[in-house]
Amino acid sequence: MKSLRYIFFFFATLVALAACNLEKEVDIELPPYDRQPVVECYLEPGKPFRLLLTSSFSFFDPFGLDSNFLQKTLLQGATVTISYDNQVVTLNNIPALETNPFKIFNYTSQQIVPATPGIEYTLNITLPDGKTVSGKSTMLPLVPIDSIRVEWNTDKDTLARMLTYITDDQSQENYYRRLLNYSSLDSVPDQDFLVSDRISTTKLIAFGTGYELAVGDTVFNSIFHISRDYYNYIESVQLAVFGNLNPFAQPSPIKSNVSGTGNPLGIFTCLVYDRDTTVIMR
Amino acid sequence: MKHPFLLLLFLFGVLRAGAQTTISGRLTDATNGENLIGATVEALGLGKGNISNEYGFYSITLPSGGDSVTLRFGYLGYEPAFRMVKPAGANIKLDMALQPRGEMLQEVVISANSLEEKVKSTEMSVTTLSTRDAKALPALFGEVDVIKILQLKPGITAGSEGTTGIFVRGGNSDQNLIVLDEAVVYNANHLFGFFSTFNSDAVKDLKVYKGGFPAQYGGRLSSVIDVRMKEGNNKEFDVTGGLGLIASRLTVEGPIQKEKSSFIVSGRRTYADLITRGINMANEDNPDYNPIPDYYFYDLNTKVNFTLSPKDRLYLSGYFGRDVFKFQDETFNFLFDWGNATGTARWNHTFGPKLFSNATFTFSDYRYRIRNLIQGFSFNLGSNVKDANTKVDFYYQPNNEHTIRFGGNVTYHEFDVARLKFGSDDGQINFESGQGYDGMEYGLYFADEWALTDRLKVNYGSRISAWQNDPAFYWNFEPRVSANYAMSDKWSLKGSYSRMNQYVHLLASSGLSLPTDIWYPSTKTVKPEISDQIAIGTSYLFRDNILITWEAWYKWLQNQVDFIDGAELFGNDDLEGELTIGRGYAYSPLELEIEKKDGRLTGWIGYTLAWVKRGGFPVINNGEYFAPRFDTRHNLSIVALYNLSRKWQFTATWVYTSGYVSWLPMGRYTFQDVPGAPFQPVVPVYGARNTFRYPAYMRLDLGIVRKWKTRRGSEQDVTISIYNATDRRNPYFIFLDPELETIGEDGGPQVEIPTGIKAKQVSLFPILPSVTWNFKF
Repeated sequence: MKSLRYIFFFFATLVALAACNLEKEVDIELPPYDRQPVVECYLEPGKPFRLLLTSSFSFFDPFGLDSNFLQKTLLQGATVTISYDNQVVTLNNIPALETNPFKIFNYTSQQIVPATPGIEYTLNITLPDGKTVSGKSTMLPLVPIDSIRVEWNTDKDTLARMLTYITDDQSQENYYRRLLNYSSLDSVPDQDFLVSDRISTTKLIAFGTGYELAVGDTVFNSIFHISRDYYNYIESVQLAVFGNLNPFAQPSPIKSNVSGTGNPLGIFTCLVYDRDTTVIMR
Repeated sequence: MKHPFLLLLFLFGVLRAGAQTTISGRLTDATNGENLIGATVEALGLGKGNISNEYGFYSITLPSGGDSVTLRFGYLGYEPAFRMVKPAGANIKLDMALQPRGEMLQEVVISANSLEEKVKSTEMSVTTLSTRDAKALPALFGEVDVIKILQLKPGITAGSEGTTGIFVRGGNSDQNLIVLDEAVVYNANHLFGFFSTFNSDAVKDLKVYKGGFPAQYGGRLSSVIDVRMKEGNNKEFDVTGGLGLIASRLTVEGPIQKEKSSFIVSGRRTYADLITRGINMANEDNPDYNPIPDYYFYDLNTKVNFTLSPKDRLYLSGYFGRDVFKFQDETFNFLFDWGNATGTARWNHTFGPKLFSNATFTFSDYRYRIRNLIQGFSFNLGSNVKDANTKVDFYYQPNNEHTIRFGGNVTYHEFDVARLKFGSDDGQINFESGQGYDGMEYGLYFADEWALTDRLKVNYGSRISAWQNDPAFYWNFEPRVSANYAMSDKWSLKGSYSRMNQYVHLLASSGLSLPTDIWYPSTKTVKPEISDQIAIGTSYLFRDNILITWEAWYKWLQNQVDFIDGAELFGNDDLEGELTIGRGYAYSPLELEIEKKDGRLTGWIGYTLAWVKRGGFPVINNGEYFAPRFDTRHNLSIVALYNLSRKWQFTATWVYTSGYVSWLPMGRYTFQDVPGAPFQPVVPVYGARNTFRYPAYMRLDLGIVRKWKTRRGSEQDVTISIYNATDRRNPYFIFLDPELETIGEDGGPQVEIPTGIKAKQVSLFPILPSVTWNFKF
């Protein structure tokens, strides 16, 4: 059995040699890609008409931190109009910045988006090269947060969870987006998910947290009432991001609700939400 | 005529019958009583021969009168046996027990069937493996897996590194009919596919049909993987087992009544959870410690068989296996378990020397369950598929020119699809979804293997299958034909055509096999999948011990089921709205296997050159054809086993596969999203599906087996495996990783922007040595 001892010694050496570096950079070539215009436009009641029009890039196109970064990304020189109720709002190619949270728009108007549910908005864009982009969206009614309940853990009484309730209109199909931010709206959300009421058998819908909140925590609690188009778009964005990183996930092409000869990507939607800010207290 | 159905068979036989004597019986292993499947019986000097069926039953008919005839009984790895018989007109019943060759390190058997028999048979596109083969070869973590050995055979592709998923001749993974003692195994995987459900100690052998499907099989498009459990030693008690890096096995078998009935019980369990529980307990007082969830899998195989009379034999067998993943703390109680249960009852009856029957009842169940309890709320998600199947098969040999099989089956299917329930304990909040279906599947078949001349044999037959799931009803005619023309004793030409239908479909959201994949029945919208396959080939026996087989094949696929992009699998009562139906095809001009099965060096070389496409899905890829993930152009495997002595054996496998196909993004854009949502500096834009091919996959595995016998007579061995011996970094997946930099002033608005993108390849397994100790008392 002496030979077996040598084998075990060899075996132990191999175990030690088993490398752990399982990730490495590789050079790959992707198929050619034609840049596409990207629309991001949220019609938020009480806020001005604003739109962000950018261009997509080939995946390996170089980036840069220089001043050209925005110029390369923003798609300027387009004609943008949004029409509703026989009115046409022209969005001029004038940039606007919003802080807290930081947002940028390159087509803006001074006119304010009305809050009336049911109004249908139509977007028309003529790009500098003459190609077009268009889209439609309807203002949905606000679904308010009914109540918020803070419950303390019976085992660890320093931690609490938050339950947020809304009442769903079961006579129609509704879609919701839930965002939960701690500390500030600029933070990476603790929760960001989409919900459909298709399988709900009760009017009441609850959104919860884990037992992770402590006294003094600030919680920004947002419930968006969204269209099916927006639901599909956000879901496809999430799947595209996730599908690139997870071998078990099936990626998805972006499901945009804008179309036209410009072969655009993006979303044109009304944005209706209720947001509550709670500071956790005993 | 006692049995009306015998009338036809009687006529079939009588028309050719002169004065003849039929010798029939069972062929078994002399040491343990196991049936020998595919063993040969040959009348020396008369040029007549036959092989035993899957229950060891054989029948050979000789002209009566004249001199005594010597019968030679053979089976690879066993000493041949000879018997003199006098064909005097009265039929002869002759059971034979063959003695295995050698004492300890037996001749390594690459497949149960002899090479000569392969040349002569009308069967083509068939691979047979015994567990002895699998046990000698190097294995991942030392855990022997017959399914992974199959991946080394030509025409069979692995789904991805280290997993047991198999894709046969361009078919999807759900298009393999995997049966364990004739009961369907719906998900033959443990640990997300890294191990199969087949415990090598309990499995006797398996046979894979890649094409030229016999008429008795139906229900899947691309392959039949017929796994047979051991029957149990009916002569003496045996305890076998093994200790490995991740799991241990124990098998007990022995006679209930010596040489008349026997049992076998075999179990296997992983034990990583015992270690992780210890680590968790040691860190109980550490508030910053995140406990490791429990994971383990286990399976249990049992079988008993009884010889009720010289003509009747009863087999009862069962399998139960589960994977369990769970986690629990003060507020959270999570459980995810999944697994199969199967049961089989079979009654063999020999009507006479020419007619053998088998009546079978099988039960199959696959389910997964995800449960999470959070104070005041509960979440439950699960799917389940259940079958109860009754079938009867007849094996009739009116003379040496015809071997007839016929029979039928009825299967009741029950599906519980993506059943979701989430809500509060007080009932104020409740979400529910899921669908229930049932269906009846029917099959009737007839096949005749007919030796038209000394050189030409044809196996012709058909299967009529049907599916009923109100209001849907489908029936299909499935012709099957294969032929063998012997150019000489060592060279034959073969051809086959077969049509298959599949009435149940696996809805898989990724190219990998997951326990949450859903089995779904054919309905009015989801029509049965259909395949047609033609194959031609030749087999040549070189120097009596090297078999060279070449085949070329083309397969057409109809009614292929896939998900639309971004489909929602769960929480969706309209699952069919997420499905799309298309077509496919696959072909290979060159599927080559060179097998050597005796001498010190044995093994095989397999090579496949193949193309696979899917398309015609209205909402995928604009209806255009694309390559599925497993469309690997070249597959080459070399398997070698070298017997240095009775104590030492060295083994090696080398695999080369063209890279898997992948869907990578072509473009990207930035998405700032709404207030409160995360800024996405890089949103990938996916274009045409699966346009990128990974780098090639290459792996060398090495193994050493050292056997010895203790003074008390127990047999033991230590098997050392080195998986990926060259420590090559094979691609498991590639992702595009953006490098981000935050710009903006401290305290002011800040935003992350991408500064570069790198393609990164992730590999799964480096060099992985393992050691396993096996014993037999």
